[in-house]
Amino acid sequence: MLQLNDIHTYYGNIHALKGISLHIDQGEIVTLIGANGAGKSTTLRTISGITPPRRGRVLFEDQEINGIPAHNIVKLGISQSPEGRHIFPNLTVRENLEMGAFTRNDKQGIEEDMERAFNLFPRLRERSSQRGGTLSGGEQQMLAIGRALMARPRMLLLDEPSMGLAPVLVDQIFEIVQNINEQGTTILLVEQNALMALSIAHRGYVLQTGEIVLADSAAALRDNEMVQKAYLGIE
Amino acid sequence: MPKSLKVGIWTFIGSFLFLMFYGFQSVLVAAIGALLIAIFGVLLALPLPDVVKSGLLTGIIGLVFVIAYAVERPAIALLGAMITGVSAALMASYRQHKTDLRAGAIQGALAGAVGGALTAIALFLVWLYIVPAAGVTNIAYAKLLSETIPLGASLGSDVAIIGWLSALTLLISMLLGALMGMARTVEGVRGNLLSYAILGLVVLLIPILDRQTELQLLNAFIPVFVFILLALGLNIVVGYAGLLDLGYAAFFAIGAYTTGMLSSPLHDTHWNFWLVIWIAAAVAACAGVILGAPTLPLRGDYLAIVTLGFGEIVPILFRNLGGGGPNGSLTLKLFGGQLGTADIAGFTVMDQVNLTGGVAGINPIDPPKLPGIVFGPQNQVPWFYLLVAIMMLTLFLINRLRGSRQGRAWTALREDELAADAMGINTVRTKLLAFAMGATFSGFAGAFYGAYVSAIFPTSFDFSVSIIVLCMVILGGLGNMAGVIVGGLLIMGADRLILPQTSNLIRKVVQHQQNTLDLPTYRDITQWRLLLFGMVLVLMMLVRPEGLLPNARRRAELHPDEDTAEQENATLFDAERDPQLAGH
Ligand SMILES: Nc1ncnc2c1ncn2[C@@H]1O[C@H](COP(=O)(O)OP(=O)(O)OP(=O)(O)O)[C@@H](O)[C@H]1O
Ligand SMILES: [Mg+2]
Repeated sequence: MLQLNDIHTYYGNIHALKGISLHIDQGEIVTLIGANGAGKSTTLRTISGITPPRRGRVLFEDQEINGIPAHNIVKLGISQSPEGRHIFPNLTVRENLEMGAFTRNDKQGIEEDMERAFNLFPRLRERSSQRGGTLSGGEQQMLAIGRALMARPRMLLLDEPSMGLAPVLVDQIFEIVQNINEQGTTILLVEQNALMALSIAHRGYVLQTGEIVLADSAAALRDNEMVQKAYLGIE
Repeated sequence: MPKSLKVGIWTFIGSFLFLMFYGFQSVLVAAIGALLIAIFGVLLALPLPDVVKSGLLTGIIGLVFVIAYAVERPAIALLGAMITGVSAALMASYRQHKTDLRAGAIQGALAGAVGGALTAIALFLVWLYIVPAAGVTNIAYAKLLSETIPLGASLGSDVAIIGWLSALTLLISMLLGALMGMARTVEGVRGNLLSYAILGLVVLLIPILDRQTELQLLNAFIPVFVFILLALGLNIVVGYAGLLDLGYAAFFAIGAYTTGMLSSPLHDTHWNFWLVIWIAAAVAACAGVILGAPTLPLRGDYLAIVTLGFGEIVPILFRNLGGGGPNGSLTLKLFGGQLGTADIAGFTVMDQVNLTGGVAGINPIDPPKLPGIVFGPQNQVPWFYLLVAIMMLTLFLINRLRGSRQGRAWTALREDELAADAMGINTVRTKLLAFAMGATFSGFAGAFYGAYVSAIFPTSFDFSVSIIVLCMVILGGLGNMAGVIVGGLLIMGADRLILPQTSNLIRKVVQHQQNTLDLPTYRDITQWRLLLFGMVLVLMMLVRPEGLLPNARRRAELHPDEDTAEQENATLFDAERDPQLAGH
């Protein structure tokens, strides 16, 4: 469904991604794990068009999408919940969700998806007329995910959905991510919490300073000694 | 200590010191001035019921209007009542939204009544104190009253007419307040249109009242409305899209100069105004895109600085494109010496061509032509209606834009640019469109203004224009059209109507009492305009930073302590305790 071929992305002259190749198939949850600064967020931003690659190709359903501006990539069916949430602080929860459906015109469908988001995150329903900026961190994260879903994406890019959340909430968020996936959305998940990510993902990639050093099924990665040592904290 | 008292004391001390330094040798006069300003501050901060507060705030304006004008033109109270009634009801409804038609009507009528009452009280004050002080005899005033007040002639005595006039004032203000209050209960676009319809009704009645009661105020109203038009346009850029533009006067200038160049003897081109106004708007819109494009990566302070630069450059450009001449020519100095124009081929050509009239400006500019209607300096009514028509069109268009996808894109852009991008919003187009739309309306304003004053100069469009317009937007309520209109009415109304007239009045009183024509500068109240303006701004930013009629969102943003704080606490609280979350 999505394929990255030898992607090189730069920030000025910082070479952040040094030839990344990966693929994600329809219906999968694929996770990217790696240390701080490895280039996980950059990979997502490259896919979503916010920082286009300097070299290499991004293929989405066999169409080349590198070079397409970010706002048009959303229309193709890839939507992102960015790192740091970036919710609209002065819009209400409902308005935030409506913004998520900006590219769509089908009122009926938007209403349905709003309902779906509220069912996934009942807490958001309770807070639907509260300003986004006054939500708690966890609620903001739910809102960011819900908002990304409002574009009715076929592929969802999630950047650290568990960041800053209490352990119970982390469990809940991951459950919901799995839920979303079962409803038919392909997911690329970036996580610091590698153990959790590998427990719901089908496959995973390990990123190290802009390069992929390992690629395997999630189960195999969990058993991999190097991964256990570096990312799972198991000696 | 309650906030209102604190505000009152501080504004009193501040204004007192200011006024003393400003040249008020008399401590008493300075104290009275300071007291008035402090009262305004206290009213703003006082926890009064919203209805009373709105009525008082707008009523003070009515009061000031009447005090300034009623010696010469007592019918001003009727005009004051119309404006006070509508704006008091509007303001009340913003503070406390009613959904029930009856409740809305009552709220509006009450606010209008408070405002109208203050306006009416002013009538009595004028009659009792100011009329004699200005040396107008009772007989002369009674004659004036019976001539200018509707039905005045049949009432006879001055007491009866003043009574009738104040009753009428109260009634009008309550009635319009109730109407506006009812309109405000209607939800959505229809409600907005209703509110504008009522505002429009008031505005349409102004020339009739003006003629019937010999107010002769239209020529003062027109510049006020032109500035409101500008403020409405700027509100798109700053209020909706969140792009701080400090050079907005540039587009005003471009609109005016386009009109001047296309319909004046300067190039012997006399295109029809009805065509030129659209061209002016289009040229301004293009200029908006061209000047907007380089600012795309900038935000906040940086954007402000760049737009400020553009705002300075454009009028200077118009001055320098005026060809040869002592002041208007392009001179290029290099290493202290002056390069002859012949040295640089490009400039030589420029030096010969007079595109814009240089410092001397363009004068005269053709007025619009319509069969049977004369647009001339003596006849203000057609100008007034033309301007109102332009404003109606503007309000309609902006209202549509606001509710459209584009309006939502502006909101998203203002809130968080990266997120807007991630939502599929074309941020480049959204920004440029904001600049273009904002410029369009100032293009209209410029075209009208050029034709109306019939003489434009580069200096008519300097930095102060940009700043005043920005202040109107902020004082009235960033992001809210009704607020912007009220802000414009207040600032420009004070500047063009109240201050000059008050100055006249003081001159009259001084003349009568001291038998001298010399008015010390400190008593010439028009000299205070910047001082007053500055103080009102400081006060507003301290007490009510969201503006008089705030956009709901902006209000929540600036007053997180009011209602949202409770919600926030609740969130933190039950995120920890929520059994559903903590249970498993
Ligand atoms: N805007 C930027 N300008 C310059 N360098 C950047 C920028 N954004 C990221 N980088 C650099 O690119 C590299 C990869 O960053 P990226 O944000 O992708 O890391 P990450 O894997 O998401 O890390 P984390 O887990 O901490 O979020 C880092 O070295 C970072 O410093
Ligand atoms: Mg990251």
